[in-house]
Amino acid sequence: MALELEYDRSLYGKEHEAGPFEVTEDMIISFNQSISQMGACYNDRDAAVEAGYRGIIAPPTLCTLFVRRVELPDINLKFGKTRFHGGQRVQSKTPIVAGDSISASSHLKEVYAKTGRSGTMVFIVWETTFTNQLGEVVADVQESYAARE
Amino acid sequence: MTNENQTYFEDVELGDEIGPLEKVATDEGVVDFCTLWGNPIPNRFTSDEEAAKAKLPGPIVPGVMSMSLMAQLITDWAGPDGLKDLDVVFRQPVPHNKPLIITGTINDTRQEDGENVVQCDVLMTGTEGERYIIGTALVSLPSRS
Amino acid sequence: MYFDLHCHSVSSDDSRATVEQYLKWIQVLRKRGYTVDGIVLTEHRKFDFDKDYSQLADDYGVIVLKGSELDTRFGHFLVYNVTQGLANDIDFADVRMDARELMKAAQHHGALAIPAHPGRFGIGLVEFMDKGETFEDVKIVERLNGGGRPGENERADELCDSMGYLGTGASDAHLASHVCTCMTNFGMDICNEEDLVAALLSGEFSPVRLEETSIT
Repeated sequence: MALELEYDRSLYGKEHEAGPFEVTEDMIISFNQSISQMGACYNDRDAAVEAGYRGIIAPPTLCTLFVRRVELPDINLKFGKTRFHGGQRVQSKTPIVAGDSISASSHLKEVYAKTGRSGTMVFIVWETTFTNQLGEVVADVQESYAARE
Repeated sequence: MTNENQTYFEDVELGDEIGPLEKVATDEGVVDFCTLWGNPIPNRFTSDEEAAKAKLPGPIVPGVMSMSLMAQLITDWAGPDGLKDLDVVFRQPVPHNKPLIITGTINDTRQEDGENVVQCDVLMTGTEGERYIIGTALVSLPSRS
Repeated sequence: MYFDLHCHSVSSDDSRATVEQYLKWIQVLRKRGYTVDGIVLTEHRKFDFDKDYSQLADDYGVIVLKGSELDTRFGHFLVYNVTQGLANDIDFADVRMDARELMKAAQHHGALAIPAHPGRFGIGLVEFMDKGETFEDVKIVERLNGGGRPGENERADELCDSMGYLGTGASDAHLASHVCTCMTNFGMDICNEEDLVAALLSGEFSPVRLEETSIT
């Protein structure tokens, strides 16, 4: 008996938007502290300006904090009880600078099944594009969540 | 700004290793991260009870936090704006308060659209052979000339 | 000839290595004194009929063959010499297929299906045999897997020793620098997928770690 995936396929092609989110110096520095991120351009405004940036820049993965602020619809997957984070990709296009306003737009990219050490899993992949107040794409983030039996 | 620790494209070769960088995600660091992330506490990343509900042996490090730790291997090496693409697969739950060893291996160097591109395999492992996270990074490096 | 019989390119969802990156990495290994003759791309739950790696293979002097790694209800199976007929008879994306039917269908179409990482916890063939399942068509298993956790290859060793199975070796690479960490040493020449199946059926092979191929 093959595994037929049941979920809301009408979600393909729909964008779900959120933001803008203000990225403050405090937020960047708190992020750095929680992961012991050193680096002058991430922590010191003068050093960042000297290096040619408009202000303190955010480490490339900071945008991942905003992914879950997009209200994503339930895809109504008829499979599994628990979910876990299967993978993530961040493609940085241009640095996020303290003071930027970042908007997010997410869409459903893919849903597929596979088996692993813990049994059958179904992966749900969402893709989010972040854009700053200048209209520049700062990053694309792909997150995959696995539903497990 | 000149940085004496800056890595240049001319200095790297296929097969070179990057790191290791050793990090520890402490209980406190995870709580701080979750607070900033906006994930209500307690959750499976901070509490034994919530972790047990999710059938985990104990609270784990969030994937987004683990990935941020891995990114440091590259930004320490290539500069704050050098990491262009980091793509990881979470293979095993990452534990709190244990050494997390982050390493990279250069598997390709090329010039693409006028940029010096270096492709690396990246790994986060434990001290007893655990392979927590695997992935690749695409890095842009400056040229000496 | 030394062949890595199990690796994944970006065509598989969880791999991050392109075929060219594997071939470049094999040049690094050769420079370090190791011997590698070929690889088999065994993509998850599919077979890439439309992909042709012959130009890349020529450019880098590595034999590149194609196969599949299929999910079944009794663990993952590596399939070599996949034909259109086999793909018509078996739904490669069906993660709950019966491995016994897959093995029979493979044999019928001139292909060969063998259990991948049989000692793997939770999903290896050993788990299902322990529950009383029997697999009369299994003669060869992947004994040495480069992606194993501590204890898993040892379980595969015990399985081979107790059942008299022949064992292959492969990296199960998902990253470029992991390719060929484990391989299979064949006593005969292999140029294509049909040769590979013939070489496996001949029984003239053994699993090796990369270090054992050193010519220095």
